[in-house]
Amino acid sequence: MVVTAPLSGIALPLHKVPDPVFAKAIVGPGVAITPNAEEQLVLAPISGRLIKLKPHAFVIAGPDGRAILVHLGIDTVQLNGSDSEPLATEGQLIRAGDPVARWHPERVIAAGLSPVCPVIALEASPEVISMIAEGPVVAGADLFTWL
Amino acid sequence: MRLRYAISSVGLHARPAAVFVQAVLDSGSAVRIGRSAGDPNADGADGAGGAGSVDARSIVSVLTLDIKPGEAIVLIGEDERVLDRLAAILESI
Repeated sequence: MVVTAPLSGIALPLHKVPDPVFAKAIVGPGVAITPNAEEQLVLAPISGRLIKLKPHAFVIAGPDGRAILVHLGIDTVQLNGSDSEPLATEGQLIRAGDPVARWHPERVIAAGLSPVCPVIALEASPEVISMIAEGPVVAGADLFTWL
Repeated sequence: MRLRYAISSVGLHARPAAVFVQAVLDSGSAVRIGRSAGDPNADGADGAGGAGSVDARSIVSVLTLDIKPGEAIVLIGEDERVLDRLAAILESI
């Protein structure tokens, strides 16, 4: 399964995320994106069901049950949604590349928080993640492969 | 089967959910988590608590449960010491 970039920015290894729970891959393996600091559409990284949609994070489960978490910034749960507007509905089916939310990383930065977005393969072991992007990525481009 | 009730201090969004699920996996024991009986959000209370409970070893399931800060939850398992330890984690993270 190819996982595509939910937004545009700079891909960096998970261990560089300024949060130990993500950096140590306790949530799961994956990659992070430092977003371009301007309003962006956040796109679905895989096709499947949008099983959880919060202002600061969402989870899509593919038809085989494998699920991807996208977390919009670090500690952004405390912004109570002032940085994002949902464009999809929890529980709906969604295709890779469809918009999930409109997000304002510049508001996250203004609040003194990190806008880095971990994109995580939930319940995956690190060795099944490959072809991990590093450097500039454009929303919708290949981000990593989940074997 | 033993039940252990607790209050989730910060709720189970991605980071605390991951810490909690890791603690469950480290315990090596099968544990379920659900909203405690009497909570209006619980779907189809069965009287024993844990209605709509999910496997606490699955972060996908725990995230889907969407426990809010301050919500009362119930842990279901066999090992009382494990349940006590997990409850302490939920009440402190």
